[in-house]
Amino acid sequence: MAVIELTSVAGAITPRRRRARTAAGRIGGGIAVLLPIVVLSSFITYSLGALSNSNPAATILGQDAATPAAVAHLDKVLGLDKPLVVQYWDWLTQALHGNLGVSYFTQIPVSQSIAQRLPVDLSIAITAVVLAVLIGGTAGTVAAIRRGGWFDRGVTMVCSVVTTLPAFVVGIILVVLFAVAAHLLPAEGYVGPSGGLWPWFEHIILPSLALALQVAADIARQLRTSLVSVLEQDYITGARVRGLPYRRILLRHALRNASGPALTILGNDFPIMLSGAVAAEVVFSLPGLGQLILESAQTRDIPVVQGVLLVVATFVVVVNLVVNTLLNLLYRTNDGIGA
Amino acid sequence: MSRRTPLIGPGSVLRLPSAKIAVVILAAVIFLSVFGTALAPQNPLTINANALYQGPSLQHLLGTDYLGRDVLSRLMAGAQLSVLTAFEAVGIGLGLGAPLGIATVFLGKWFDFAANRLADSLMTLPYIFFVVAVTAALGNGLVQAMFAVGILLYPGFFRITRAATLEFARAQYVEAAELLGASKLHVIRVHLVRKVLPTMAVTTASFTAAALLAVSFLTFLGIGVQPPAPTWGGVLSSDLNYLSQAPWAPLIPGALIAITVGALNALADAFRDRTGPGTLLVADPVIKTHSTLEVLEAAGDRQSAA
Repeated sequence: MAVIELTSVAGAITPRRRRARTAAGRIGGGIAVLLPIVVLSSFITYSLGALSNSNPAATILGQDAATPAAVAHLDKVLGLDKPLVVQYWDWLTQALHGNLGVSYFTQIPVSQSIAQRLPVDLSIAITAVVLAVLIGGTAGTVAAIRRGGWFDRGVTMVCSVVTTLPAFVVGIILVVLFAVAAHLLPAEGYVGPSGGLWPWFEHIILPSLALALQVAADIARQLRTSLVSVLEQDYITGARVRGLPYRRILLRHALRNASGPALTILGNDFPIMLSGAVAAEVVFSLPGLGQLILESAQTRDIPVVQGVLLVVATFVVVVNLVVNTLLNLLYRTNDGIGA
Repeated sequence: MSRRTPLIGPGSVLRLPSAKIAVVILAAVIFLSVFGTALAPQNPLTINANALYQGPSLQHLLGTDYLGRDVLSRLMAGAQLSVLTAFEAVGIGLGLGAPLGIATVFLGKWFDFAANRLADSLMTLPYIFFVVAVTAALGNGLVQAMFAVGILLYPGFFRITRAATLEFARAQYVEAAELLGASKLHVIRVHLVRKVLPTMAVTTASFTAAALLAVSFLTFLGIGVQPPAPTWGGVLSSDLNYLSQAPWAPLIPGALIAITVGALNALADAFRDRTGPGTLLVADPVIKTHSTLEVLEAAGDRQSAA
């Protein structure tokens, strides 16, 4: 027992520094890969505005004041007379400085409206990720250990039901159960964390749960599959033979190697969660980014639409970068299962 | 090999009971979407102020909504728009993704790089935000909205087709055909398309489910539809405002969406199960024989007991 401990400790220290260096290199490499993606997706975002044959200057000026001369003048002020690529470049460099332009109608800076709405979505998205990992991780692990048992069958069945239910339907079911029938939690509205931790939590727990369930189901299914195959590996049997406690084998050896695919799922599902956040915003009347883009789309307030799309796309890219980095740290020797 | 039957025929898939049920459900949904408007027992738009929020009865089998309109008729008439536009999105995604996915294997490194980066960047855009932005730019209609959904289905179709094509393009018989002087088009047509088809079938089924979820969500948000027009998502959305009067109302459209999506997923699973291992991801069987670990555990228990 002591010998095993010693070798594992000695084996862990020496490669650590090398690992840290390669990890830094990989993060740098990851950014290099993501850069063209960010440029391309922001270009798609920007050119959507140009695709709309709406005439922003005429819209801003209103029907009476929109003489050709006034429109041409305002086009020049807004920079709309330049070629698309130049406009895009100006927009992007300004965006990197935190300036996303102003709303056509309210003249409020886009970044200000976004900053106002962002905490709502961040609250429910982060809580949803935590819930999804907790629920999905526990369900998947227990199902894998008790493979073939009633819990395993139950998890498999619940997962296939949950994946057919869109987030807004889950949200409505939760409202009916917890707010209309039981009066346990508020059905709508948002209170910032500054208004007290419990009121904040009370308002975001149902929307977060609505988002989390589908992702939890995905995580549970994936974790179960990979954990089952990891538990059959020789090194797990070896650890058993050496007499390591089962809990330790499970947490240190099996889960560590099995969690990669589940982590990938979490990264892939993040854009779906952001879309689900819009559903939650509507069902629970939360003033978030989804409501902002929906309102602005109705009035064709293009700068706001572009700004929101850019921010959410950036989020997805950052989350992917984090997930990839974690995966790289997890698989320092690249012989993991199914990665 | 190349001239024989494809890897899976529809017959072998239909032998699975889950696939049979799924096909029956989907046939019913397609029937509804074609004839639903004509067969609806009442006019889905007729308002009846004397019959608000009624529960199921003989006259209104699924009850009435906040304007006294017959829910069954609204759901039947609403099937058309939901199903047709889901097909539109899948058609666009498949039409863009599958040919590009096959072509990219043969068109060289730069084309592959460009097509891959395009797919990557589209994947960073959460669909609902992108769709709303597209409707802001191109006009608010369900056809425009589902066009945007179709564009976002491109990366999935592209990647899966590309991966499947890559796998078969390295096969020896493809190499042999090329050595014998077969043109690229011939190789694609005779050797590859047939092999990629089962993968495409699985992907198409599960992406149709995703598209259907997207339509119901968009119509729920009120994107692309004018208010009185009935849609599944629209029925849900109006139910949401009257939860305290009729808390059971969202169950019916919700279940309708879930059952259709579930049937499509079941069909995709059936295709997947019928395809040979190695070609597609094969689900891990729920019940297995005793693993080494369990045998060891049992041995340990016996030892400690003794």
